[in-house]
Amino acid sequence: MKKALAAVISIAIFIVLSYFFLTGSAPIDYLKGGNYTDPITGEQYNHSVPQQYVEDTKNDTGASNVVTAIVVEYRGFDTLGEVTVLFTAATGLALLLDELKRRTLPVVDPNFILKSAVKVVLPFIILVGAYIFIHGHLTPGGGFPGGAVIAAGFLLMILVHTTRGLPERKLSITESLAGISYVLIGLLGLVFANEFLQNYLPLGNFTMLFSAGIIPLIYIAIGFKVGSELGGIMHNLKGVHEE
Amino acid sequence: MVALPPVLLIALPLLFAFLAPLVGMVSRRMVKLYTLLVLILNALLSILLFINVMANGVVYEQLSGFYPPVGILLSVGYLGAILAVLINVLSPVVYLSYFGEAENSVKFSMLYMLVTASSTGIVITGDLFNMFVFFEITAVGSYGLVASLRTKEAFEGSFKYIVLGSIGSAFILMGIATIYGYLKTLNFYDIALRIDTMPETARLMSFIFLIVGIGVEAEIFPLNGWVPDAYQGASNRVASFLSVGPSKAGIYAIARLIFTLIPIMSGFELSLLLGIFTLVVGELAALRQRDVKRMLAYSSIGQMGLILIALSLHSETALVAAVFLMVGHALAKSILFIGSRDYSGGLLRNPLIAGPLFLGVLSIVGMPPFPGFWGKWYLMVDLASRGAWTIILLIVFTAIVEGVYYSRYLFRGLNGEIRTLTKSEIASIIILASILILIGLFPQYLYDPAVMAARSLLGGGP
Amino acid sequence: MIPELLQPVFVISAALLSIGLYGVMSKRNMLKIIISLGLVDTGVNVLIVAMGYLPGGTAPIENGNYALYVDPVPQALVLTAIVIGVSVMALALAVAMGYYRKTGTLELDKEGVMKW
Repeated sequence: MKKALAAVISIAIFIVLSYFFLTGSAPIDYLKGGNYTDPITGEQYNHSVPQQYVEDTKNDTGASNVVTAIVVEYRGFDTLGEVTVLFTAATGLALLLDELKRRTLPVVDPNFILKSAVKVVLPFIILVGAYIFIHGHLTPGGGFPGGAVIAAGFLLMILVHTTRGLPERKLSITESLAGISYVLIGLLGLVFANEFLQNYLPLGNFTMLFSAGIIPLIYIAIGFKVGSELGGIMHNLKGVHEE
Repeated sequence: MVALPPVLLIALPLLFAFLAPLVGMVSRRMVKLYTLLVLILNALLSILLFINVMANGVVYEQLSGFYPPVGILLSVGYLGAILAVLINVLSPVVYLSYFGEAENSVKFSMLYMLVTASSTGIVITGDLFNMFVFFEITAVGSYGLVASLRTKEAFEGSFKYIVLGSIGSAFILMGIATIYGYLKTLNFYDIALRIDTMPETARLMSFIFLIVGIGVEAEIFPLNGWVPDAYQGASNRVASFLSVGPSKAGIYAIARLIFTLIPIMSGFELSLLLGIFTLVVGELAALRQRDVKRMLAYSSIGQMGLILIALSLHSETALVAAVFLMVGHALAKSILFIGSRDYSGGLLRNPLIAGPLFLGVLSIVGMPPFPGFWGKWYLMVDLASRGAWTIILLIVFTAIVEGVYYSRYLFRGLNGEIRTLTKSEIASIIILASILILIGLFPQYLYDPAVMAARSLLGGGP
Repeated sequence: MIPELLQPVFVISAALLSIGLYGVMSKRNMLKIIISLGLVDTGVNVLIVAMGYLPGGTAPIENGNYALYVDPVPQALVLTAIVIGVSVMALALAVAMGYYRKTGTLELDKEGVMKW
């Protein structure tokens, strides 16, 4: 498409969108509006859904981080889907780069500082990542950021082991087991409680590490899964030497 | 009979897809069989669900132990149940064509399972954001499947699909954000109950955002430029699967959008216009194509336009027509796409291949007694009853165009050196063709559920 | 009417979206298109987060004052949207790499992606 035409179209889009965002999409304070109705029973409530999340998270889920409670408990099914999107992308990427991986790449020997620093730093990076996903129900963070921090550690490993790369098979096994345990935690909800992904563990003491029922378990599974998936993605994008 | 929770239709294939790499490590040869068994299990579950819905009405399932709209709600309505069966029954049949292939990719099979599960997720969910998540799984899986041949055309088609798909998902998100900004809810029924409290502009804008975004997957104008390139670059079974799973899930989402979510008059008019435009442009572009896969892809666009027209007429007969068109399109196009591998002629000299391909063409063009005919017939009846002669003329005109390029297609298949498909591909198209014949001969088994689906949609249900 | 503090945020969101769309429509280089898609994603994420903001609000983590929490739902939605954006971008990069291996270039055909 011609550049001028593209510019005209995008300026038009900009004007329409900003006009609409500024006048038409007025966000309403959730404490003041948005009273909802249970669509099945028809019962009406005089508060909004987010207000209920904010007020009931403590009793419903035992998590002190409301966003975590929404992500893992109230809208937990979305998160299963989200994990699956990442899994699908990692699978697709591995499928596409299958033959590319086996080409020879020029090897750059990593410098000494990088090599020695990684040995010191790597355990701490993984520790921080694990801390973030284990404390997801208490502090900002959770499985996705924690997994991403661990994957950053993997990136350092890739930079150091230029020829070997990561242990792909072990990553793949970890990823599978983490995914399976997530779905199984959900399915056990059908067995021990009534519904998929419903909490069936004691809520524990509020704001303590061992609290919030299945939330920490799910976040640990997600942390392992995201860490190994992102590691696998980087490994595949890098390419390996087959010796 | 025990009523199984619908969530199993999604959770089980996800579980088995996560397990597939481990199966592949134990024995690579088992993976194809394993995938086929998982897909067949899902087909059986979907049939049980269909029987349950037809007997007891709409099935609701809360998730995570919270009542809607606080938690996520799954709701399987009549149309959802029909499409769940369609997707889950046809998906193993199309997968069967992969068996004759020397290539054996664990990852391909995993993507196939994931896309089947997520397309099913779109048709059984009752939550707007959850539908968006399933859309993304479907889309990301399809990008990978389209590029799985790893040729230049495959990468190019997949890239276009990715670009338009992500713009589409940005539009869906803007629509969701607008609706959430006013109503503070994401549940379909809760939105539908309170949509009138939104100002007129906001309602129309969110409708436009959503229909443009969903239209990417449903192959509706304006963001359907990926369709010809992606279908051309994809392998025959992937193209066939795309016309069974993702496109049907997309058109279902549009049906939910215009009937349940934002049922405003200007919405119906807008989607009617989009439908007419998609139909005419798709069919005319198909006429110009030399490449068989591109021709079939443009023809698909035309068919999706026809389905959208039927949906936006807002009447029982037209909705029944839409159901028949969807089923007919899924069956006929999956046959034709499987038969499109190396379609340089000679394919039709083998009666086992010629038969199913011929039946597929007859159904698409709208010859009795196939589902495509019933669909076009009910659509014409409805249009005639309201005197919309211009649209009828357009549909007749596009049917003639279809007749022209499909006869050229059949003629090409008779000339040239003899070619054949693998045994499993032949088996797969024969099964598909027999389902086509069965529905054509006994349309009442589809007609009754379709009428129930139409009544439920018109009543604002799922 | 939306709070004054938020007005520039909404304009920025619209600007990011349209700059991204301009890049997609006018560029032929795959990497540039992928970067433009990243801009589109960011624009939408900014919009969603802004939807949940309350003037003077705090993070919705236990601090005893419920009335000051910002709306937690958009944050949860944006978390999902970000992960999805990352996944799509990784896959797009893989496709670009594959295309480069087959053709030796990252440029698409003459009309770019918008060819119908």
